[in-house]
Amino acid sequence: MATRSEAVYPVGWKSGRVASWLVTVDHKRIGIMYIATSIFFFALGGILALLMRAQLATPGEHFLTKNSYNEVMTMHGTTMIFLVVVPIMAGFGNFLVPLMIGARDMAFPRLNALSYWLFLLGGLVLWLSWFSKGGTAHAGWWSYPTLSEAMPWASPGHGQDYWILAIHILTLSSVLGAINFIVTIHHMRTPGMTWMRMPLFVWAMETYSILLVVAMPAISAAVTLLLLDRNFGTHFFIPGHGGSLLLYQHMFWFFGHPEVYIMVLPAFGMISEILPVFSRKPIFGYKAVAFSTLAIAFFSMLVWAHHMFTTGMGIGLDGFFMISSMVIAVPTGIKIFNWLATTWRGNLIFDSPLLFSFGFLALFTFGGLTGIFLAAFPVDWQLNDSYFIVAHFHYVAFGGIVFALFAGLYYWWPKMFGRMLDERLAKLNFWLMFIGFNMTFLPMHMLGLLGMPRRVYTYHHGGLWEIYNSISTAGGVLTAIGVAVFVANIWITHVLRKGARVGNDPWLADTLEWYATSPPPPHNFDSVPYVTSARPLRDLRRRLAEEAT
Amino acid sequence: MRRKLPIFVLAVVAALATAGIAAATNGGLTPVQPESPNASHTLTAYYVILGFTAAIFVLVEGLLVAFIWKYRSRGRARTVEGPQVHGHSRLEVIWTVIPVLILAVIGAVVFFQLPKIDSAPASANPIHITVEGHQFYWQFDYPNKTRSINTLYVPVGAVVDLKVVATDVIHSWWIPALGGKIQAIPGRVNHTWFMAEKAGTYEGQCAELCGVYHASMTAQVVAESQSAYDAYIGSQAAATIGKQEWSGVCATCHGNLGQGGYGPNIASNSLVIQVAGLEQILRNGFNGPTGAMPPVGDTWNSTQIRALVAYVKTNVYKAAPVGGTTP
Repeated sequence: MATRSEAVYPVGWKSGRVASWLVTVDHKRIGIMYIATSIFFFALGGILALLMRAQLATPGEHFLTKNSYNEVMTMHGTTMIFLVVVPIMAGFGNFLVPLMIGARDMAFPRLNALSYWLFLLGGLVLWLSWFSKGGTAHAGWWSYPTLSEAMPWASPGHGQDYWILAIHILTLSSVLGAINFIVTIHHMRTPGMTWMRMPLFVWAMETYSILLVVAMPAISAAVTLLLLDRNFGTHFFIPGHGGSLLLYQHMFWFFGHPEVYIMVLPAFGMISEILPVFSRKPIFGYKAVAFSTLAIAFFSMLVWAHHMFTTGMGIGLDGFFMISSMVIAVPTGIKIFNWLATTWRGNLIFDSPLLFSFGFLALFTFGGLTGIFLAAFPVDWQLNDSYFIVAHFHYVAFGGIVFALFAGLYYWWPKMFGRMLDERLAKLNFWLMFIGFNMTFLPMHMLGLLGMPRRVYTYHHGGLWEIYNSISTAGGVLTAIGVAVFVANIWITHVLRKGARVGNDPWLADTLEWYATSPPPPHNFDSVPYVTSARPLRDLRRRLAEEAT
Repeated sequence: MRRKLPIFVLAVVAALATAGIAAATNGGLTPVQPESPNASHTLTAYYVILGFTAAIFVLVEGLLVAFIWKYRSRGRARTVEGPQVHGHSRLEVIWTVIPVLILAVIGAVVFFQLPKIDSAPASANPIHITVEGHQFYWQFDYPNKTRSINTLYVPVGAVVDLKVVATDVIHSWWIPALGGKIQAIPGRVNHTWFMAEKAGTYEGQCAELCGVYHASMTAQVVAESQSAYDAYIGSQAAATIGKQEWSGVCATCHGNLGQGGYGPNIASNSLVIQVAGLEQILRNGFNGPTGAMPPVGDTWNSTQIRALVAYVKTNVYKAAPVGGTTP
């Protein structure tokens, strides 16, 4: 016990303002570092997106061409996926899971710190590759061989090697973190918190972790083979010597599709926490929502080759992956209907978390529906690799995940920092982002249908191509202003200290993290109430009210 | 709210105007006007899915807006709770089963349309053409062994079977009006087909990232009369192959006049008029100090290379004032 309290209340130099963060093994601080680092990379990735939109605003521009465009495009995708969404989910999970299950910390606090520092290292390796010989990787975030091989006309230089190294480091970070989450959730729930009383966000983090453990080794293996091809003379992906390019595609997407759900399931979890609190109702169909999470995770392992419909796999495989991809729409639909039913006859309090959650619902539904076009493989032959795809996955990844993340940030911010972000700025942030997002990505559907392939650095059609691209670029700027408002809000709240201080439970919420102080002390709780339902805080409030009368 | 109204109206008007333009010109609300049976049947499947998804969209987003309006707080205190409903088993069954049925219908429609999209009419006697994707051009081999670059000539109304291959990186063949994509993957042979129903020029471009000039890798299909097609593959293709190679392959990086661009200036490099030296570079690529040239001509025969040299000699090459430079 003695060593533990030493870790929680550090002594000597370790208690310095900066040093205490560098040596911390506190899940809350690690969580906040994850989130802060991810937001930093989100800004970098967003700048890359704006550079691409600037290049594509009008036909035949010369702002950012050829290899530079390909580098920016590759780095944007890799950054947003590996350095933003996956780690920020780990950040929220780190901060929230022990608090939500009434635990004092994660199961392995030091391993937890290692996960974070590996994430930062991976991010630095990737971003410092701008300075490597030949620039960064430029074969897209999938890095399909042979374009990612070391041939002089493909990807010579070291950028691709640094990309591989970064993926290895980040994979290690994610898997270690995932194991930590699984052990924590299985073994450290407070008395009374059965599986069916666990917050839905914890369900989501459990499933996120299982998927990481299962899917990540596939990409590790794929990029290891690529590394061997590039540096040690093997020919796993070089067809003239017996290698197979489809092998890489299968290995990559066996990771790549579960990855989509790794990113979106915690976002679902956040929505499932926020909607009930701001509707003043319990979640509709707790079991349906929890089990649909598991169903989505299971089916997500069976749909990977729907990314490969145009590789000529044959009708048998195409048909199988169409059906499995459509099946996954069913549990997703169950979630959407349950969320809608949660708001039915509620007392909808329009604070920013609810606003962003409704934004998520509206946009994610749209992104899910365009997915059905892509699952139907003959239609996908027309839409695949066009801007329609770019539009589709941004509706899911930005409209879905990022809007849920903002809902989560505004919701849990007072818990993390003890101050409320400014509501009026939050609403401005929402409307700028909501309008900007739709302006950016809605026209991309049309561009894809008109025949614009993705990943082109320029185009030579005027007319509608130009109109849609210009609208898209303008929308990108508006979205960026929306994000800037968020940053300004943090500045005003904390640096100018304008944000109102809050008590333990400003939203009158349901789950245990609101039982701790805001921000919680290093050891989280002095005591935890015995959990008798999925909404322990509401039970507590009612008990107190009864005692008072 | 009132202050926001003008902005809202403006946004709606702008959205409607854009949608109006788009609808009036079929500007991207559906795939481009199909001109081949496979593309037409793809469009049919697209419409069926559009019908179902539009209905679901209106239902879900409609409910969302209605609930937002109807159940908004209206100043009620946060402590006022809604009815504590925990779920409803029958509703769960309903919104599980109905989507399953809808998806089953969509799946059935896809499989019903599939034969007409995937395979050419059985009675047809197709023209077999090989499409080879290269950094950064398309090469077409006709049944009589002639070649063309970037522009594929076909007779109107003939079924064309395309054998799609590549030798360097993955490319993807896509002419939107003539059907969907198929990747050209080194080490694999893929097939697709089309039947151009009307004379005309159909444009498309490579749909899989293939390197620096991915955006420039365009393709055209020219559908013309049988006699024009016969004339083309009979003699015109061979007569113009040197020019096609220069403007479709070399000029992408070295500029139309060989003045240089992404690749170095080669207009006065004597290597471009030496058959043996040029052949060596075209077949094996070249890794120079300023960058690498892919082996663009690794599948070219010596006739083609001689044709290129002949074209370059008369149209591009300018003898350097003080001798040639090495590449």
